[in-house]
Amino acid sequence: MMLVEIVNPYYLQVGSFILINIILGLSIYVTLSSGQLSLGNAGFMGIGAYTSALLTLNFDVPIIVGVIAGAVVAGLFGILVGIPSLRLQGVYLAIATLGFGEVIRVFFVNWESVTKGAVGISGIPHIGREIFMVLKDAGFDPAIIGLKNNQFVFLTVFFVLLLINILLVWFIFRQQNSRIGRAFAAIKMDEKAAESMGINITYYKVLAFVQGALISGFAGALFAHVMSYISPADFSYHRAVEILIFAVFGGSEVIVGAIFGATFLTLMPEMLRFISEYRYMIYGLILLLMMAFRPQGLIDVQVLHWFQKLRLPKRRAEHGSKNQKHL
Amino acid sequence: MRKLFKKPFLSISILMLVLLSACSGKSSETTGEGTSSKEGDVINAKIGVISYITGPGAAYGEAITNGFKLAQKEINDKGEVNINLVIEDSAGKQEEALSAAQKLMSDDSIVALLGPTLSTEMNVVGPEAELNGIPIMGTSTTAEGIPQIGEYVFRNSLPEALAIPTSIKKAVEKNSVKKVAILYGNDDVFTKSGFDTMKKVAEDMGLEIVTIETFQKGQSDYNAQLTKIKGLEPDLILCSALYNEGAVIMDQARKMGVDVPFVGGNGFNSPQVIEIAGKAADGLIVATPWFGDKENPKVQAFNEKYEAEYKMKPDQFAAQAYDALYIMAEALKNAGEADRDKLKEALLEIKDLEGILGKFSFDKDGDVVMDPTVLIIKDGKFKVFE
Repeated sequence: MMLVEIVNPYYLQVGSFILINIILGLSIYVTLSSGQLSLGNAGFMGIGAYTSALLTLNFDVPIIVGVIAGAVVAGLFGILVGIPSLRLQGVYLAIATLGFGEVIRVFFVNWESVTKGAVGISGIPHIGREIFMVLKDAGFDPAIIGLKNNQFVFLTVFFVLLLINILLVWFIFRQQNSRIGRAFAAIKMDEKAAESMGINITYYKVLAFVQGALISGFAGALFAHVMSYISPADFSYHRAVEILIFAVFGGSEVIVGAIFGATFLTLMPEMLRFISEYRYMIYGLILLLMMAFRPQGLIDVQVLHWFQKLRLPKRRAEHGSKNQKHL
Repeated sequence: MRKLFKKPFLSISILMLVLLSACSGKSSETTGEGTSSKEGDVINAKIGVISYITGPGAAYGEAITNGFKLAQKEINDKGEVNINLVIEDSAGKQEEALSAAQKLMSDDSIVALLGPTLSTEMNVVGPEAELNGIPIMGTSTTAEGIPQIGEYVFRNSLPEALAIPTSIKKAVEKNSVKKVAILYGNDDVFTKSGFDTMKKVAEDMGLEIVTIETFQKGQSDYNAQLTKIKGLEPDLILCSALYNEGAVIMDQARKMGVDVPFVGGNGFNSPQVIEIAGKAADGLIVATPWFGDKENPKVQAFNEKYEAEYKMKPDQFAAQAYDALYIMAEALKNAGEADRDKLKEALLEIKDLEGILGKFSFDKDGDVVMDPTVLIIKDGKFKVFE
């Protein structure tokens, strides 16, 4: 009985969007961590979404294969774009990748025989519903655990995405503290110095770029299978900017920043629904204040340290004897 | 190392906890106020509205919600049905429209949904409403295939597939047309689906299509396409454009000396065309369900009330929304109680309901059956084309 009340499709839906946006935020975080500013993530997202949608619709490929194929194809495009744009830095790279994203969008608009142009593709298999069908055929009924069908569908989507998120965060976190992560950080600090230290800049920069492309393609494919409908307008430059804001708002220096940014910025418009017309004004205002007072993003290394300091003494006081307090 | 490794998990788990606690807190709130029952003879019903209230297309959402509110007031004053509207914003984005729809659908006291504004949004929201078994009616979704999404999906907005053939047929008869040129915006769902209809109708009627030209949203120079069209000397130009681009196209065409009539889709049908293009707008033919200057007492009364309430003239979106709520009210009355499934059945049975757009019926899919009026701009004014 409790479950029925808590498992509200609306909250799960918003939760699913948050999780997808976190993946998108992470995709730009990875490229940013090697000092490259890419605005092509919306384009890569589109490639992932269209690849997976078309494969599952036209060739009856299972969703999981479609999603992986979507990510891989986006990654391949990442290599294609990443190598020639290596020579570009900062704003120039941003403009080149922004151009790439637009090219991809216009391509989807014009390749009508396959993508149905601006009308978009509908009826894409839905992750939750497909899983539900498979389980139902196996004799499982959600009523056993006290859930309605649609609650169960949304719950599965949410947990699938949550699992993917945890794995992804774990991977990026491990990588950050590995040789690759250190190389990224070195390149971000100073490319010339990093090169003279013997770091293969070409390799690492393309690697970071491709990882970003791969992850956004992955997010795009998931997006397609959660929405069941995609159109080229979903991957316009507004999306690219939105993705960038996720990372920049939360703090682009730490991984928690991107996660927080995506969560907060997806949740806020929903939380502010009660003031309807004015909610995007407040959204804009918060962004403005943020950039004025904390240009490095809400969460950075100092904030994390501060949190740690706040926590650690408490723990000691709990576990330690009274004498330790005086030391 | 191990300590660092724990952090993201911790933050995620905290986030999820916060989310979950937010969930439980709010859901109890909404269940408390659900009171849609029959009190005496009055049927109380709560209807959810998803509209495009913030963002670049907010003007549409405003007109639509105004139309709903005006109709709501009148219906509630009559006292047979008492409608409560719960309005949510979609900002023109599919994700937000879906979230808003989920929010409304999870409230069991809401019997039906009106909206969303755009066809792209309906493509996402429609299947979800179908799955949850709640009637949903679009008041401005004109693209192909919307009511075919499912049994619970309706619309009262005249689809392009119905409007465009009527206007083309009338224009062809009147001007003995043999050769047509087509010009359309290929990066917009609305204009693209209008073009598909135009092409099909022209082919079915055996007209010779001399050329098909495209343009993009926000383009300002159409001379290249128009020069080519001028050289081919068509008798009629079929132009699937939204009014802001369409008006500029007409202006440039007239300046170039192309004086054949234009046939436009629903998005071309706006008083703004005359404002932007001035005299150049003469000769634009559109089919529309809504004609504000119609000499019908109902239409005139609506015009007056709307202007008194909102200080501006109603457009077709306001009119369609106004009629939509009347259709809902009629169906609720026939259903006898506020029940999602009974309401769906009652909606399907709506026949020849007299509204400000004319006589209205649903076909078996939940699509519109009505006769559009064909209008032409003459001397800077919309007039009935006969």
